[in-house]
Order: sequence, then structure tokens, then C-alpha cells
Amino acid sequence: MSAVELDFLIDGEPRRVGVEKGEKTTTFRDGPDVLEAEVRRVSGHELLFSYGGRTVRAHLARDGGRVFVSVEGREFVITEPQPGTGRTLDGDARTPEGGLRVKSPMPGKVNKLAVGLGDSVRKNQTLVIVEAMKMENEIQSPAAGVVKTIHVSVGEFVDAERQLVEVEPLKSSVGGGAHDD
Amino acid sequence: MSSAKKRSGGVPLATPGMFDKILVANRGEIAVRVIKACREMGIRTVAVYSEADARSLHVRLADEALPIGPAPASESYLDKGRIIDAARRAGAQAIHPGYGFLAENADFARLCEDEKVVFIGPNSKALALVGDKVRARRAMEAAGVPTIPGMNSVSRSADEFRTAARALGYPVMVKASAGGGGKGMRIVREEAGLAPAVEAGMREAQSAFGDDSVYLEKYIDEPRHVEFQVLADNHGATVHLFERECSIQRRHQKILEETPSTALGPELRSKMGETAVRAMRAAGYNNAGTVEFLLDQEGRFYFLEVNARLQVEHPITELVVGIDLVRQQILAAAGAPLRLQQEDLGQRGHAIECRIYAEDPKAHFLPSAGRIVLLRDPKGPGVRFDSGIFEGWEVPVHYDPILAKLIVWAEDREAACRRMAAALDDCVILGIRTTAGFLKDVVNHPEFRAGRTTTAFIEKHLSAWPTGAGEEERRRLALAAAAYDSLSPAAPAAGAPARGAKQESATPWTTLGRWRAGEQG
Repeated sequence: MSAVELDFLIDGEPRRVGVEKGEKTTTFRDGPDVLEAEVRRVSGHELLFSYGGRTVRAHLARDGGRVFVSVEGREFVITEPQPGTGRTLDGDARTPEGGLRVKSPMPGKVNKLAVGLGDSVRKNQTLVIVEAMKMENEIQSPAAGVVKTIHVSVGEFVDAERQLVEVEPLKSSVGGGAHDD
Repeated sequence: MSSAKKRSGGVPLATPGMFDKILVANRGEIAVRVIKACREMGIRTVAVYSEADARSLHVRLADEALPIGPAPASESYLDKGRIIDAARRAGAQAIHPGYGFLAENADFARLCEDEKVVFIGPNSKALALVGDKVRARRAMEAAGVPTIPGMNSVSRSADEFRTAARALGYPVMVKASAGGGGKGMRIVREEAGLAPAVEAGMREAQSAFGDDSVYLEKYIDEPRHVEFQVLADNHGATVHLFERECSIQRRHQKILEETPSTALGPELRSKMGETAVRAMRAAGYNNAGTVEFLLDQEGRFYFLEVNARLQVEHPITELVVGIDLVRQQILAAAGAPLRLQQEDLGQRGHAIECRIYAEDPKAHFLPSAGRIVLLRDPKGPGVRFDSGIFEGWEVPVHYDPILAKLIVWAEDREAACRRMAAALDDCVILGIRTTAGFLKDVVNHPEFRAGRTTTAFIEKHLSAWPTGAGEEERRRLALAAAAYDSLSPAAPAAGAPARGAKQESATPWTTLGRWRAGEQG
């Protein structure tokens, strides 16, 4: 079997993996790193990698477009980007006008709006408090700026990735990069 | 069948008031734990469930299950009237509240007493006393139990908080009067942070307990959190079942517990145990309960609070002392006299519990909801997995994110740490983020292995988690596994749904097919 290259996003980070199957071992290339391992499938959800005198077990399961993999107790979420679907890593974190979209990292209930429309905010200032599983989670501003839009109201239930607030970052930092903290 | 026959198994014949049927007013792993104890004792069980839990494990395991309302806890698991009503409809003579929800609600205990349903827990008077932190402090001080310096009453006045904080000296801790589980708690290191912390504490306390009273306490830097399990019958006999060390916490909430504590010698252990028994006697307490202490670096200990319920971490005591605490709770609630003598009780070996939460340790332990697409329970000698989950189950966002508890026992601490690390490797929960991998790094950490555990452990040693050379290698292996699986997918069995079909579940049929695929893969 000749080498095949596959593109993945692992926990949101793009990576390209080359795979070449030999007689006994399989060679995986990931940038400059090469892993040559004997791979044994022990069940539909379990692979054993033997290399360098050790054996490591990986569990994996697919759900929709995602592959969940666990290696030595560590879990990773891997997606195979579909060309042409417009799936981008962080491409919608900004509006076309350069505003920062602040999203809820988890589903929950909006408990408090800590800022009002037009307020100036510091980097890491709490914008919204979202309660999930009985804990309050402070959603903070990614940069210094001005609150341009508020998309939610107190008491509202929000899904993960739901846009909460839009912050227009300060222009003063544009020339010099990220000096907003 | 006569009722006498139904309740024969395991229950001492000398317990005349033993129940035929118990309603479990909880959900998740603890409801499952209580249902299992009842089954062993020959007692029928009634589960209650909200709309979000119709498919949950406790509902499947109980003999009967009754719906009690919509998903929000305030309209279901916290609705006292609906739960009493369910108990009456099902003909249950007793209610086990588990932990959380109504477990420490004195009004609910009183309602049970009025309605002649046995509340499996302390009497409502003792519960009201220990549940009010400020009153409990006063009672403990009167009984000669050492307490942390702090405000003797709750307040709503910013001035009073400021004055009290200055008198105590910063850092101070904002605490919810009705609190527990870290909710409503905030550390304040300087005056500027006081007002926002009080406000946040009140809001969190209101939403968690329906009571926004908060007060201040002196904050002790890097203490250990050591608690003592107490068991008392309805006739005045009270014993302690030694300590649990619960110093490993995130957000002031325990995540790993062990017993014995590395910080206690025999003398301090018996002194703290005696103090715990004295504290519970002072409160007029019956049934199982826990006295929490803070232990400072000089070996001084302070009463923190009473947890008037079965604790999440009760299994480590069960393994080391050899007592089934839920069974003891049920026996005591039925009026059986305690058969344990303090001098007969001892600790054997070492036990550790890891709490598997649906949380992302890489993102400040934010809750992580979703569907469990793969579940492999850890098993083996000395390994116990108390779980409320199953493969294909959707973790609801409405409740505490605890999924399961992994508990190990071994001859000594070192062996228990190794057993835990291996068991965590075997604990595979895919589809959501969990604390399992993080906890493995805790038990493998040299400072933990050395027994140097304090409440600042995670912040001090693992705040930048994950780190270390192994991380990138694991990431590469994960990618390799995904690539290999994409190129050589497991062969589906004949008749199994095609790859990519919506319902891809591991039935015995597909498993067989995959095994047959064997080496080809």
C-alpha cells in the first residue's frame, strides 16, 4: 500500500498525517515526526500500537463527523475537515467589520449581564455570567474594547457556541499587535 | 406473596421496623448506589425522575419509577410536595435523599416526619442546626469544638462585611450560610475584591440553595481538608469511622479523596475522631453524617461544617473500615440499634476515590455536556466503579456534572496510587470531556505520591495542565489511531447498520464481527 495523506483537526488544531502500510508495521508521518508501529486492532473501538518496546492502547469512537480518541487516559476530539464546507478553525471569531464575537463555551442559562451596550471593557473583564450544571461561569472579554452588541438577555438558555456579546476591539493596538492587556 | 417473605434477604430479623419499600429522591450514581443497597436488603425501590432523566440509569434499575416534573431541579428533585406525593402513591415507608437536592433540607425532613414517612438521615432539628453554618458554629464553640475565626452572623450590609473583613485580616473567605460543595464560596485577598465576591457568593447561594445568606471567615492558606465519618443510631450510640482526606479540590470542590490521611498519626487521629463524635452529640445528630475539619500546617484543626448526609466519597470509608454505609443508614433509620463499638473499628489498607466529572480540565473545569459514545468501565481486583451512566446516554446540562466515581483499595498507599493510575487508564468515556486523565496526573504527581496534599495542590502543581513530554506523543498516537481507523475501518458484521448510519452501537453481533476481522485491520 502506498502512502496516503490525511488532514485532521485535533482539538481544533489542523494537522496532516501521512500513513504508509508496510508488511508488518505502519509508518505515520506528522510533520518531521515519524512513528513506526505495529498496529493491532483488538476490537471495533480499540487499537494497540507497539513501538520502541512498549505497547499503547487507543480507544476510539465515531459520532457524526467527529472521532473521539483516548490514549492513556487523555481524550482528543478529531475531525476530518470536509473540503468546500467552509469549516474553519476560528474563522468566525470575528465579524467582517473586525468585531470580536464572544460565545458561550457551554450550554447554560444567562445569569447576569455584567456590562451594558457601549461600555468600555478591559481584556479579561467579565461580560456575561452563564450558569451550567449549577456553577457560575464568567465569560470574559478577549480584548480591550467597547461592547457593540448584546445578543442575549438574563434568564435565557443558550447553547454552546451561541454568540453572547460582540466587542469592538480598541483601534490603538492595531499597529503594534496585541498590546491590549 | 406475603410481605414477610419479600423482605427476608439480608435484613436482620431483629429489625421490626424494616421497610418494604424505599423511595430514592435523587438521580445519577448515588441513586444507583442506594438502589443496589436496597436490593441486597430485600427492599423494593421507587425511583423518581425529571423529564430530562426519563432514560437515566436509576430509572432503569429501580423496581418502580415515577415522573416528578420538568428538567429544572426546582420543579422536580427539589419539589418537596411532589416527592412526598410520589412516596405516598407508591406506598414507600421511607425516603433516601442521597446527597445534594433535598438531602440537607430541614424543612423536607420535617415534612417527612409530619407525613409519617421516614427520612433516611438525621432528625429535622439536628439538620436545621448543622445546616445553618452560623448557628452550628455557635453550638460547636459551646461544646468546646475548635472553630475558624469568622463572623457570627450573616449580613447584607457592605459596611458590616468590610468591618468584619478588616477585623479578621485578609485573606477572608465568603461562605454561603446554607452552603456546601463549594457553591457560593469566594476567596478575597484585598478590600477591592470584597463587594463583588459577596455579590457573586449571594447570587450563587441563591441559585444553589434558594437562600442567599453569606458570611465571612478567616481564610487559612494551604490547609488540608480532613473529615470524619460518624454513624449514630436513634438511641444515642455514636461512633466515628475514621477520616477521609479531601484536600485535592478544584473550585473548592473535592475531586479526589483518600483514607487514611498521610497527615494524621494515631494520636491526632483519635483526638479528631473524639472531637467529631462530640460535635455530633452536641447537635443531637442521628444517622450517618460527616464532620469536616481544616487541618493547618502546624497540626491545628478547626471545625468547618457538618455534612448531614451520605457523602459522595463514602466508598473509601466503606473499603477501609469494612462497613456498608448505606445499609447502616437504612438500619439506623428503621430504628435498629448500632451494633458497632468504637474499639472494634479499625482501618485496613488504603483507599482512593477519583470523581469522574463531565468537565473539561483544559478549560477551567467548565461543564461538558453531550452524548457518551463509548464507555468502558474499569474492572479488576480492588476496583469499584459507582456510576450513573451508560453508553448512548446524553449527559443533561441541568444537574451536577458528576458521572461516576472510581474507587480503589490496596494494601498501602503506594499500591493504591498505582492501582488508581491503571484503573483510570481503563476508564474510557468518549464523547464528552471528563476529569479522568487529569486525575491520573494527580495520582502520578511526585508531590501527591509524597503525601504532600493541600487544598492548593491543583493550583500550585497542575494549573498549566496538560504539560510534559508525553502529551505530544499521545496527541500523535491519537492522530495515528484516527488515520488508521479511517483507512482500515473495523469490518461491520452482516446485518449491522452500515458505517456512518445514525445508530452505530456495539451490539454483541457487531462485536463478534469485528473480532472475526482480527488481524486484517
